[in-house]
Order: sequence, then C-alpha cells, then structure tokens
Amino acid sequence: MFNWKLLKTIYLYDGTLNGLFTIAFDCYIFKSIPSNIIFEDNYISNFLDTAIYIKTDNEKSSRIWNGLYNNVSYDTLYNCYYAFLSCQKNKEINILKYILKAFIDGPKINTMLHIDYVLEVMKLRKNVLHESHRLKGLTRLSEINKNLFYASIHPDNNVIELLGHFFIKRFPLQNLILHDKNRNLLFLYNSQNPNNYEIISSPSNFNISNYSIEEIEFQNLWKTFFKNISIKERTNPRLQMQYMPKKYWQNLTELK
Amino acid sequence: MDIQEKLEILSDAAKYDASCSSSGSNRKNSSNGIGNGDISGICHSWGADGRCISLLKILMTNCCMYDCKYCINRRTNAVPRATFTPREIADLTIGFYKRNYIEGLFLSSAVIKSADYTTELMIQAITILRNEYNFHGYIHAKTIPGSSQELIDQLGKLVDRMSVNIELPSNDSLKLLAPDKSKLDIVKPMSYISNKLENNQRLLSTFSKKRNFSLSPVTKYQKEKFVPAGQTTQMIIGATPETDLKIIKLSESLYNTMKLKRVYYSAYVSINKDSCLPTLDKPPLLRENRLYQADWLLRFYGFHADELLEEKHPNFNTFLDPKCDWALRNIDKFPVEINKASYSMLLRVPGIGVISAKRIITARRSFSLNFENLKKLGVVLKRARYFITCNGKYFDKISSFNPSFINENLLMLEKRSTPSKNNYSQLSLFENSLPTKGDVIKCLTGNF
Repeated sequence: MFNWKLLKTIYLYDGTLNGLFTIAFDCYIFKSIPSNIIFEDNYISNFLDTAIYIKTDNEKSSRIWNGLYNNVSYDTLYNCYYAFLSCQKNKEINILKYILKAFIDGPKINTMLHIDYVLEVMKLRKNVLHESHRLKGLTRLSEINKNLFYASIHPDNNVIELLGHFFIKRFPLQNLILHDKNRNLLFLYNSQNPNNYEIISSPSNFNISNYSIEEIEFQNLWKTFFKNISIKERTNPRLQMQYMPKKYWQNLTELK
Repeated sequence: MDIQEKLEILSDAAKYDASCSSSGSNRKNSSNGIGNGDISGICHSWGADGRCISLLKILMTNCCMYDCKYCINRRTNAVPRATFTPREIADLTIGFYKRNYIEGLFLSSAVIKSADYTTELMIQAITILRNEYNFHGYIHAKTIPGSSQELIDQLGKLVDRMSVNIELPSNDSLKLLAPDKSKLDIVKPMSYISNKLENNQRLLSTFSKKRNFSLSPVTKYQKEKFVPAGQTTQMIIGATPETDLKIIKLSESLYNTMKLKRVYYSAYVSINKDSCLPTLDKPPLLRENRLYQADWLLRFYGFHADELLEEKHPNFNTFLDPKCDWALRNIDKFPVEINKASYSMLLRVPGIGVISAKRIITARRSFSLNFENLKKLGVVLKRARYFITCNGKYFDKISSFNPSFINENLLMLEKRSTPSKNNYSQLSLFENSLPTKGDVIKCLTGNF
C-alpha cells in the first residue's frame, strides 16, 4: 500500500477498540505496520516471532477517534466500530490498514473497493449489521419478574451492545438483561436510570428458569398464533430454514 | 370463549392476507412510551410456509355479513365464529410486543353489522393502544369497503399503513365472486387515501419552509401526518381468468395514479367449493412468484408493463424469469459494457440488481472493472455473464455474443436449480444394466 516499513513483529493488545486505536496511533507516528495484531488472550507464543504488547492509551486512541470523526467521516469511524465487533480472526490488521489508508485518502476510502482490506472491512461491517438486524427480530424477551425481562442469544459476532441500544430505545420502561451465551456477556439496563447501561461478564452458572405466570400464558398464546398463521397448502420448510437458520432456533419460544 | 380459542380462530381466519411488511414508518418513541417504527421493517419469525411473521395479524371478527365466494369467512360457510373486544386486541398486542414477538399490529376484520360499525370498533382498539398504552409501534389497518370518509380520516391519523384489498382484478370477476362489493366501494377509499397522502407532501414542504419560525415543526408534522407508510392492496391470483398482462397493467396504474406502496399477489387456495370457482390441487405459486418478480421490475428497475408482456403473449414464461425473458426478446440492446453503461441500463441486465448496480457505479469511479473485480464486489455472474462485457471482453469461454446459445444456457441454469424429483433414483449395485453409449457421452460432455 504505502511505502511504510513492514515490521516482522506481532502486536498484542487488550481486545478493546481503544487498544486497537492506540496501535493505529503508534503505527501512524512511526510509519510502520506490524505483521499481525492479536488479542493477547488468544496469542500462542512461538519462538520464531517476536510479539510486543502495546498498552492501551486513552489519549492516543481518542486522537484517532476524533481524527476519523472530524477529518475523515462519521461513516468511516462507524465502519471501524462495526468491523471490530466481528468474530473474524484477522479483523484487526485489516481495520488497522483501513484506518491508516483513510487518513491518507480521506472519505473516498469507502469507494475504493478494489483494495483488499477496504473490501474486507466492508464485508465485516455488513456481516455484523446483518446479524444484528436479524437478532432484532429473533430475540425473545421473557418476563422473569414484574417488568424484568431476560433474553438469551447465541450470536456469532459481538452484537450485544447494538442489540441493547435497540431495545432501550424501544422499551425504555422495561428492565432488561440480555445474555450472550457464546461470550458469557450480560447487558444490563435499569429503567430507573435510562441513560446508562452496563456490559459485564456473566457468572458461568448464570441461568434463568423461572418465569412469571403471565409469561407462560403469553408464550402459549404466541405458540398458538405461530401455528395458525401459516397456510397448510403452502408448507415450505426449506424456505423457512433459509430465512431463519437452525442455529437461531434454540432461543425461539415458538419452535422450542 | 377464552382468549386462546379466539386467537386460534381469528389468526387462522386472517392468514390469507399476504401483506406482513413493517417498513416505511420511523415513528419515534417517547420517553414514557413503548415501541418505535423501523424504517426498513423487521421480521420476527417465519412460519412453516416460509412467509415472514412481523405483525400480529388478526381479524377483529370473522362474523361477516357478506358472501364473497372465495373467502373462508363468507356468510354461508359453517366455520367457528369469534369476536375480539377492542380491549382484548390492545392487551394482546402489548403483551406480544413487550416480548419482542412482533413489530406491531395488522388489524383486519370481516364486516359485522355495517362497514362503519366495524371501522369504529377498529378505531377503538387502536385508540387504546396509541393513547392509553403510549404505543408507537407499527399498525397496519385494513379499510373496510364502504366505510365513511370521516372514519377513514380518523383511522388514518392513528395508523402507519392502510390497505384496501382489490382481491379480484376486474369488475366482471368482482360481480361474479363478490356480489356484495362494488368497484366503487374499493376505489373510493383508495383514491381518498391517496389524495390525503399528497396532502402529506404539501404539509411537509410548508413546515420545512416555516422551520425557522416555529418551535418544533417536525413533531407537529408527525402528529398530523396521515398514514406515514402509505397504502397497499392485494389481488388473488388464479381464481378468475385474467391474464398476467391485465394484472400487471392494473398494478402499474395503481402505482402511478394511486401512489400505492405495494401490490400484493396471493395465489388462490381452494377453500370453498362453488360452481363459479376453479378447483386447484395446489395454489399457483410459480405464477405468483413471476408476478412478484415483474412487480419489482416495475417499482425498482424502471420497466413498464408493456415491455414485459404484450397482447400476443399475455402470460409470463414459466421457464425464464421476466427480466431474462425481456433481455432475450431485446437482445439488440446487449452486450452492455460494465465500465460505461448508465445506471438504468445496468439495472436491465439479468442478474444485476439495485445493490450490485450501485456498487458498480461507486467502484468504477476509482478504477476500471474486470470480471474478477465484479466477483469480488459480490455481483453474481450466473446470469449476468452472458449479457455483459468488461473493457470490451466477454466472460471467459464465451467467445462471441450469440442469442440462441444464451437461451440454451439460461434454460439449463433454470432446470438445474429446480431438479424434478422423479428423474433421480438411488443407484443399485445389483441391477445388471451397463451404461449405454449415450450415458458415456453424457458423462464426458456434462450435458445431462
């Protein structure tokens, strides 16, 4: 891409977007690009490569944050954020190159789809947004106590924050626990405090099995509706599966 | 009768309405309310028939005073009847919505007592939702043919989308199968709504002019906005002898004159036995599919009904989709050069859709595209490869532009994607039939 130094080192970081932005800042200053960027917990050391841990520095990351927002474009910043939520393994290095290129070329970066890493970032973004859109519909909230709702999800990408935002906007008066069972994350929202939410890691044995009486009643009503709304003469399980892949079925009330 | 039984009867009775979209409205939530609209719509589940479930689709009642021959709820049918109270509908909707089962309510109804009485009941239910529960989610209400304009007005200010079902695409068919409804009953509310929608536009422009002077023009505009997601309609396909050309022409004029958001096509399912009705083993799903394909071509691809079909061939090709069919009839317009063609011409290439065309336009600004790039961009070349060139070159293996060659290949594609089940059987080790010379040639050439 640019005539910057290509290092043989691997950078390790703490797995946050700020961590990645810190690396981007350092790369921009020293005009060098690492051979790879890996989340420190996933790194398996190997005596052939040298790995350096880059400590997250909020000062540096906010410079990148503001730089993208003010000097490139809002979309570019959001593309980085969405791509970062992806579950793909080599996302970091592609996002890094995308950020550096964006500072050189400005907002037109998003039309330069012939460059591999730009296309890759766009694909990651699309994949994340697609899954989060799907789950906006396919998440089932169940009432475990008066006005306390719980939902478990098994997403491929880390979309819990996107979903959480969506539900807060939609149900500002409902207390909410979203549970990402693939990552053991909990999204907590308290309606008394509508401007705040929290994402914490969940205890390993966290499970919900008690529902309110009203909840059971509505689940039965929903199952009845689901059964009756399809036309028997048009039964087409393949089409159903195409739109709603089996991996989502475990969390759906109507298909349990 | 408890609510479970009522739901069973009234959701079963509502299932023949094809419309279930929840798009087009971005109604905002308030800080103490529940729900909001999503402009692109959200599907919450898919039924066993593969149709999306996004709204709680129910009838207010299925006690009908009309006797439409195609309808399951006709007066003379012996089916269990039930009626929801407005309160029950509101509670059910909120209960489902809170649990994220649905995107909102689709409320339709049989005609009980009179059209106005039915509409009033519907308004009551929706008023409870909007005013008492502070519900800002999506509501689609069916207009009952023959209800008064004042009531339509009132309903329109509460809901996001309204629809009047045409059901039968000509006046004669209407007379034959729905003797209680007249064409006027259907067209009048439809054109009334479309006039009001034009008013919407005018309101928007006056408010945006005033923006500097009034405090919150946008919220005021939203309060007064009438049916923000527009109106739709539905036609039954295959119950009457109309041709595809006639149907698609009608749709086109509905889009142009009535400013409809969508026309739904519903393959006729034989539920009632009557001398006026055809008896079909299966609903005509392929025909419905072709009509939807053509409908998309009308709305998003800049096609006209006359281009797709003509008096001599008034029905769609069963083997090829309408766009391929059009391309083969107008082969003189191809091949299209990807790096130069206009957006409207790109859209006319079979296999290239709105998203691909837009992507091509953006990408070719910064570099010239070849087939490899197209694949990377996610443009599907299965069909498109026969109709395009990149920098003057054809797709590999295609040496020259030859219509009959294209036709053959497209038909083969179609056959391969819909294998008929009877042609294949499990091979047996014990059958002593050796492959014939023909089989060997087939294996080598790959032409099955």
